[in-house]
Amino acid sequence: MALAARAARVWGSRRGWRQVGLLLLQRLGVRGLAVSHPRWQQEQHFSSLDDKPQFPGASAEFVDKLEFIQPNVISGIPIYRVMDRQGQIINPSEDPHLPQEKVLKFYKSMTLLNTMDRILYESQRQGRISFYMTNYGEEGTHVGSAAALDNTDLVFGQYREAGVLMYRDYPLEQFMAQCYGNVNDPGKGRQMPVHYGCKERHFVTISSPLATQIPQAVGAAYAAKRANANRIVICYFGEGAASEGDAHAGFNFAATLECPIIFFCRNNGYAISTPTSEQYRGDGIAARGPGYGILSIRVDGNDVFAVYNATKEARRRAVAENQPFLIEAMTYRIGHHSTSDDSSAYRSVDEVNYWDKQDHPISRLRHYMQSRGWWDDEQEKAWRKQSRKKVMEAFEEAERKLKPNPSLLFSDVYQEMPAQLRKQQESLTRHLQTYGEHYPLDHFEK
Amino acid sequence: MAAEAAAAGRLWLSACRAGGHWRRLCSAGLLRGFLQPASAVGDAARRRQLAHFTFQPDPEHQDYGQTQKMNLFQAVTSALDNSLAKDPTAVIFGEDVAFGGVFRCTVGLRDKYGKDRVFNTPLCEQGIVGFGIGIAVTGATAIAEIQFADYIFPAFDQIVNEAAKYRYRSGDLFNCGSLTIRSPWGCVGHGALYHSQSPEAFFAHCPGIKVVVPRSPFQAKGLLLSCIEDKNPCIFFEPKILYRAAVEQVPVEPYNIPLSQAEIIQEGSDVTLVAWGTQVHVIREVASMAQEKLGVSCEVIDLRTILPWDVDTVCKEECFLNLEAPISRVCGYDTPFPHIFEPFYIPDKWKCYDALRKMINY
Repeated sequence: MALAARAARVWGSRRGWRQVGLLLLQRLGVRGLAVSHPRWQQEQHFSSLDDKPQFPGASAEFVDKLEFIQPNVISGIPIYRVMDRQGQIINPSEDPHLPQEKVLKFYKSMTLLNTMDRILYESQRQGRISFYMTNYGEEGTHVGSAAALDNTDLVFGQYREAGVLMYRDYPLEQFMAQCYGNVNDPGKGRQMPVHYGCKERHFVTISSPLATQIPQAVGAAYAAKRANANRIVICYFGEGAASEGDAHAGFNFAATLECPIIFFCRNNGYAISTPTSEQYRGDGIAARGPGYGILSIRVDGNDVFAVYNATKEARRRAVAENQPFLIEAMTYRIGHHSTSDDSSAYRSVDEVNYWDKQDHPISRLRHYMQSRGWWDDEQEKAWRKQSRKKVMEAFEEAERKLKPNPSLLFSDVYQEMPAQLRKQQESLTRHLQTYGEHYPLDHFEK
Repeated sequence: MAAEAAAAGRLWLSACRAGGHWRRLCSAGLLRGFLQPASAVGDAARRRQLAHFTFQPDPEHQDYGQTQKMNLFQAVTSALDNSLAKDPTAVIFGEDVAFGGVFRCTVGLRDKYGKDRVFNTPLCEQGIVGFGIGIAVTGATAIAEIQFADYIFPAFDQIVNEAAKYRYRSGDLFNCGSLTIRSPWGCVGHGALYHSQSPEAFFAHCPGIKVVVPRSPFQAKGLLLSCIEDKNPCIFFEPKILYRAAVEQVPVEPYNIPLSQAEIIQEGSDVTLVAWGTQVHVIREVASMAQEKLGVSCEVIDLRTILPWDVDTVCKEECFLNLEAPISRVCGYDTPFPHIFEPFYIPDKWKCYDALRKMINY
């Protein structure tokens, strides 16, 4: 019975039953005989008059015409959307009909993130923080997906998903504390800015190596499945990171080990300066999913409701059916890769302006809200002022704070500090007693 | 004819025991016609080498309850069995672990604990370790197997850049301390470049992980249990040549041998010999030879944990000021691990003895 259900899932319920027979035959191939399942061995027999393929490796018919399958990149997987570029619902049955309060939270999360990005980007330019990465243009992918999850669903990100934390109400003070690496940084000043992490909000700390989070997210999902926690894992990555071996590993493991995970790819057109035409030749990332046996969809990432609907449905099914889902959210990286990048070196200002002015997740949602009478120019003006004030207050406070005591350089390497490391810590203390004047000790907590 | 059949039968049996990949390759009938037994050839040099060491079991330990005769892979199975029994979150995964593993370390565990706890993964080391890290991040116990230490390199990024740094970089918000990676390790007589490597040195300078190599079944079970229970990601290298060759009385119940503690297995006053894994048995023999032939008293130390290593046991304070000869390092040559030349490549007892002799005469 489990076999039939599995067959139905892989090949579609119509053909499921017929395929059970084929599957049985495949299982009884040379390899199948040697594998455990002695009860099948008694029932096995297949007639040599039967010309069907017996290979354990594929469930397919024979064909006698030599033909290569053509990858379809001219007319690729279609892009699901709910709103047009002016924020009008296209098909009313797809409108999630979210309550005003929730839609307002979408809007405020995206705009607050945008405001924080502007101020922190500027602060790097002024030498106040060492580095920053903005999220311009991708706010919709963060907020739409975050809103569709349960608060306890575990998030593994890449580095451009601050909106997920913002939606989960991560305080501005903590964003700033991490960027400044000050005493309030829960990460204890160990990493470069934007490498956020939050245990209470189930957001695993960001790391710089790309795509490493993908197989990790799969492992976490496997553990969640075993724990029967009614929990999924979502794993974000860019279309560039999807080229890494770890991505291939993660997809394959998720499918074979039946993990309740959503793979969320932000396809924003660039990996630093590398456009998608140099990143892949197939039909993006969504087309890879079926190759692994993963249900996949492509959505308009600048349409919060499309992102929301797809993530919501993927979550529902991932937890009910214990299988992975792949969502490729098409979007555009309006900002530079980071403060170390000047994207005018590899793309035109016109191209960037198009996305900023004509297809932005924030303005599309604003038009939707305005058309419902949930928002107007006055509220917009007031909110801009208020959000800027909130950000500036958090910013000034973060600036004033000291950095953590240098002894925190040594802790958390292991759960317990090894004797040799304690000796090194003591040697630094002694060194600073003699040479302290040459170190920026004034900025650090005593 | 009978002798040939017997020889063929022996070849078939020893091939069977050596590991799954030989299992159905030759039938006794096929060999009978073709091959003459090795003894009939008459040239001793053409026969395959005996091992370069003799496994020396430790005296049976009385403090841990009832013991059972186990070889090293059985000791590993016992440790894994104890772990899965005690810890309901513990899972074992890797290539071919479901049927029992290519070295039989996981035999019986899937039947006993279920297919959701002992399972195969696709053939992908970076995936195996990454997946294991993810399980550990949720707090569950992950025991990953890398089929040969020679194949650990695709997972190097996940181990060094991720697992080792997880706790530190997150300010202790997250960690993967409940991850243990086990892998068959070291020379085996015929493994050549890709079934003989001892890659612990690549990991020895990576703060955040622990690296452990046992010398015997009793040590293996206690150290593996400590690795699994340790709150830091651990790599446990199992000397594959000892899987069947090393047999000892091993306690059936769980017990722990502490990590980062070297063991002085023989006291001595003239020379200190330090090794880990299989090589401990080589230097034990060298110590006997030194005593017998040179009247030299050797201190023999099994390092056991490579990282973080037990500096205090090996180097007494300011010992470098008091050495009467430079430290000697006896190891393989700066070449990849060769196949047919293995007997010349490895740091066998004659090379170690010679280094010791030169040191005494310095």
